[in-house]
Amino acid sequence: MRLILVDDELPARDRMRRLLAEIEDCEVVAEASTGEQALAQCAELRPDIVLLDVRMPGLSGIEVARHIDSLEDPPAVIFTTAYDQYAVEAFETEAVGYLLKPVRKEKLAHALRHAARISPARLTKIAQSARIEHRRDQICARLGEQLRLIPIADIYYFLSDQKYITVRHKNGENLIDESLKALGDEFSADFVRIHRNALVAEKQISAVERCDDGRYVVRVRECGDVLEVSRRHAAELLRRIRGEN
Amino acid sequence: MASTAPDRRGPAPTLHLPDFCAARAILAVVLIVELVAIMFALARQSLQDSFWIDLAGCSLFLLWIGLGCTAVLCRTRAWLQQMPVAQAAVIALSMLLLCVGLISELVYQVGQLWSAGQLDVRTMFPIGHAGFLLRNLAVGFIVSALALRYFYVSAEGKRSVEMAAQARIRALQARIRPHFLFNSMNTIAELTRSNPERAEQAVEDLADLFRASLSDAHTQIPLRDEFEIARTHQRIEQLRLGNRLQVIWDVDSLPMRAQVPGLIVQPLLENAVYHGIEMLPAGGTITIVGTFHDGRIEIEVRNPIPVQHNYVEREGNRMALENIGQRLELAWPGRARIETRQEGTEFFARLIFPYTETAAHHFTS
Repeated sequence: MRLILVDDELPARDRMRRLLAEIEDCEVVAEASTGEQALAQCAELRPDIVLLDVRMPGLSGIEVARHIDSLEDPPAVIFTTAYDQYAVEAFETEAVGYLLKPVRKEKLAHALRHAARISPARLTKIAQSARIEHRRDQICARLGEQLRLIPIADIYYFLSDQKYITVRHKNGENLIDESLKALGDEFSADFVRIHRNALVAEKQISAVERCDDGRYVVRVRECGDVLEVSRRHAAELLRRIRGEN
Repeated sequence: MASTAPDRRGPAPTLHLPDFCAARAILAVVLIVELVAIMFALARQSLQDSFWIDLAGCSLFLLWIGLGCTAVLCRTRAWLQQMPVAQAAVIALSMLLLCVGLISELVYQVGQLWSAGQLDVRTMFPIGHAGFLLRNLAVGFIVSALALRYFYVSAEGKRSVEMAAQARIRALQARIRPHFLFNSMNTIAELTRSNPERAEQAVEDLADLFRASLSDAHTQIPLRDEFEIARTHQRIEQLRLGNRLQVIWDVDSLPMRAQVPGLIVQPLLENAVYHGIEMLPAGGTITIVGTFHDGRIEIEVRNPIPVQHNYVEREGNRMALENIGQRLELAWPGRARIETRQEGTEFFARLIFPYTETAAHHFTS
């Protein structure tokens, strides 16, 4: 079994590494002290299991797990935490692997044997009940073997076709494998639905124009793209732009 | 100094009135009115030999007044409770007197109408129009003032009991965060193998910290000891966080003999680590600055926080800050406070309290 160890505290990693050395048939292929680092390592090294600390600066362990799931054939995840009442309750309810620090060797060995991949749906539930900010700060796109984190603040719009969603942002565009509806719910504060297949960042709308045939289009501030507004969403869009709620 | 919002402990005192719209309160008013009516009738029996007639008349009149006043208070209660006590009391008293006056006048006029031509007005109102009104207003004033005073005192008593209970609960909550305990245990578990000497020191530090947190919440200790507790806490966090945690202590100008409630600085440091340093991948520096002039001690703890982070509103942080504020208030009512502010990615918490060498106000309950 190939493992990646993720914890922002060195003594915690030291101890985990020592315990793992005493367990047969497992090898720590990398260690990370931040979630971002862990994601890069997961994409590059394709481990079988990730041991993820819940409370870390930047990306929390639960967020990291949600991003890891964008990988093809994602690794199994085991959460570790010293004390986090809500997260532990959530892990119990969703029956996902977790370990309480200081970790006992037998429990660690048992968790490794039963480690399993966690579905995105369960991770969302965990994030909710763990009272971790449900809204992500960035979303994760897969670039071949790499994962790329796109800050939500840099995104102009999401456009869906049959299978994938295109994220148009400051530094280009990427494909992501998520549902537009879920994105719309998660980022409803900053993004507005203008069409069945399009979600635009409100602050990026420079103008709403009316065409000769009566339809509306939206002009995106920074990239200048023009997107069609469907009849159904026009009223809602105009209301939001005018600042009415 | 940037604008600060002092954290007030507990609501400002307002005139507490029972809910006069509730059936219970109305029943109580009726019972009290009847008792007063009986009292009056008994008191007058020596002069006239008509107890039941007296009681009936008196009851009828007092019920009008009692229920009228109840209705007034029922309607105006929400409004009165928004005002400062003195203002609310004056307005409530005026309204009650107005109510008594109006009902008395009404009764007088109705009495005049009914008795017209049949009875001598003098038998019904032996002391005349003005006398009748004035007497009722005087009785009304005394009874209303007593009642308002009673409501105020009983609410104040309840409030101070609640505050003391809350302070005790909060003192319990202020004790070492479980998060800190288990992380420390984890660090020590590792150190026992890799660095037994440091592990030993960490266990000693943890023991000191727990002893301090288990002592009586109202005990006052010298400032020197409080700083020592905070430094002990810092040593343990340092083991875990390494170079990510830097602390600058600039408190030499403070009188170390000053008496303070225990655990007022350590929780600020703990918060600064938990919500600030730990949430920053590269860590940061916590600065603790003490100033002392005009008998006033100020201790400011400053720490970096992650961007876009509403620091004060975080549940744990707010609770810890309120807790410290309450204990300062209990130790020096009205003379000590905690102020917090956020400037960009820095958070400031400042304790302000008078310098006292012997244990100041001890709260008893």
